[in-house]
Amino acid sequence: MPLLKVRNVTKCFGGLVAVNNISLEIRHGETLALVGPNGAGKTTLFNLLNGVFPADEGQIIFEDVDVTHFPAYRRAHLGIGRTFQIPRPFNSATVRENIAIGGMFGAAGSEIDVDRAMAMADHYIEVMGLSPHRDKPAGGLTPIEKKLVEIARALAMKPRLLLMDEAMAGMNPKDIDKMVAFLKEIRETEGIAIVAMVEHIMRAVSGLAERVLVMHQGAKLVDEPTREALSDPRVIEVYLGKPPEADHAHG
Amino acid sequence: MMNGYRAYLPILPVAATYALLLGIGVVSPDHWQLIAQLAFYCALGQAFNLFMGMTGYVDFGYVAFLGIGTYGMAVSIYTLSDKGLGIGVVLIGLVLAAIFSLGLSLAVGAVALRLRGAYFAIATIGVNEGFRYLLEGARIWNGADGIIFSRHLRQGVGRQTAMALSTWWADILVFGVAFLAAVLTLVYMRNKVGYALLALREDEDAAKVMGINVTRYKIIAFITSAILAGLLGASAWALKLTYVYPSDVFAIHYTVEAIIIVLLGGAGTLLGPIFGALTYGAAKYFLAIVLPGFQLLIFAPVIIAIIVLFPDGTVGLLKKRLRDTPLGKFII
Repeated sequence: MPLLKVRNVTKCFGGLVAVNNISLEIRHGETLALVGPNGAGKTTLFNLLNGVFPADEGQIIFEDVDVTHFPAYRRAHLGIGRTFQIPRPFNSATVRENIAIGGMFGAAGSEIDVDRAMAMADHYIEVMGLSPHRDKPAGGLTPIEKKLVEIARALAMKPRLLLMDEAMAGMNPKDIDKMVAFLKEIRETEGIAIVAMVEHIMRAVSGLAERVLVMHQGAKLVDEPTREALSDPRVIEVYLGKPPEADHAHG
Repeated sequence: MMNGYRAYLPILPVAATYALLLGIGVVSPDHWQLIAQLAFYCALGQAFNLFMGMTGYVDFGYVAFLGIGTYGMAVSIYTLSDKGLGIGVVLIGLVLAAIFSLGLSLAVGAVALRLRGAYFAIATIGVNEGFRYLLEGARIWNGADGIIFSRHLRQGVGRQTAMALSTWWADILVFGVAFLAAVLTLVYMRNKVGYALLALREDEDAAKVMGINVTRYKIIAFITSAILAGLLGASAWALKLTYVYPSDVFAIHYTVEAIIIVLLGGAGTLLGPIFGALTYGAAKYFLAIVLPGFQLLIFAPVIIAIIVLFPDGTVGLLKKRLRDTPLGKFII
């Protein structure tokens, strides 16, 4: 049984079909890279998956529960976590409080009181190397640190599926490698399935994902194992355009 | 930080401030009216802060909850004073005040809390005015003629007790409401409610994604704040004055005062509303003596200056400065 099943989901904004009849499945503990050029509909698909807005058509089933009409907070309780492209920490709250909030209200939230959540936060602060910033307001951190806080906050929610929106954009190659290693590790230890949205950091895609789903103009273009996807001519065409014509090659 | 009683230490400066105010009033009865007025502003600020400070939503119709609480007390004394309940009419009055303000807050909240930010503020402006005209137009509770219940209070509890209630116990109750509001604020801050409110104040959409049922927590804060306002109206207005007119109690300038107090002191802090209330109350009192009629003219620029210079309010600023000092654990 797949963890998440998306069936023929469509979302329009006025005349624009942002997500066009997409179906996909995500298995437990799997890592999928969601790839596509700017405007392909990746963020809209994320918003549909975690309930920021409802789908116009189609069905979303998470662990056998039809969540198509669930609001975002109920999907979070079931185990769908999310990070944002531009980090959105709770600025006036400390790093520790930010992460604890994830624990308090996430998938295990009903059993976790404030003290437990703070202890969980300390654990993730340690893991993410945020110890020097523990009691600082999150608003004062650098963008990369904010990103780490957001990932820690999402992990504290104890999700079964983690949607990561451009988690590695703006990082240098060394940090990307570190992040990839880290995500692989938590995938093993916590059994989380990850959908990582990546615009063009192929280093992260090839290092982390087992499968790649390429979106183009709202529709699913390719859904295949990473190696095949990265050499698929359709994918190359989306990113780089058509190969030059024969006469051009001569010229 | 959260371990046991230490998390609740910040209640000490609150208790000390109220004890000091009360002490000054007892020692110097000439200043009792000023002290009572300051206590009223403290309670108003604390109660208002519980919603506005903690959620970031501005309720321009807030005074309606004080108004309807005033009516709760008035209706109890007016209709039950001949039933031989003695002081029971006052207790029933407090319960009615709480029930009325709870009912109104549920009705308003169910509609208005679906709106965000400025839309919420605009929707609530209409609530207070609309409710006042409803009472007057439909002649509910005597309409514009109000309820005058001094005689009923005397009849119900006796002349001596009625006197004591209006001149002393009403003000003590105001202190009680102020302290209760502070305790509830701190309890909320230390529990999940407070963290949910903090999250939704900072970023409502991100809060939802974190699993927070934002509507639920907004309603909790809204209702708590409204009930405190109802109790405040019942004591500071009904019990103290023993009459109520719609035009007196459904007056929007009290809402504006509440906003000023909270912003002066620091929205979302525990001590801010007290500091704001004392500053605002004392300044208003002395300006009325020194420059009668000019208070508002002087206040406007002062308030603008404070909001520009200290956007977090005075206590908000202090809190940041003292974060890592021993005093820090008392100032929140």
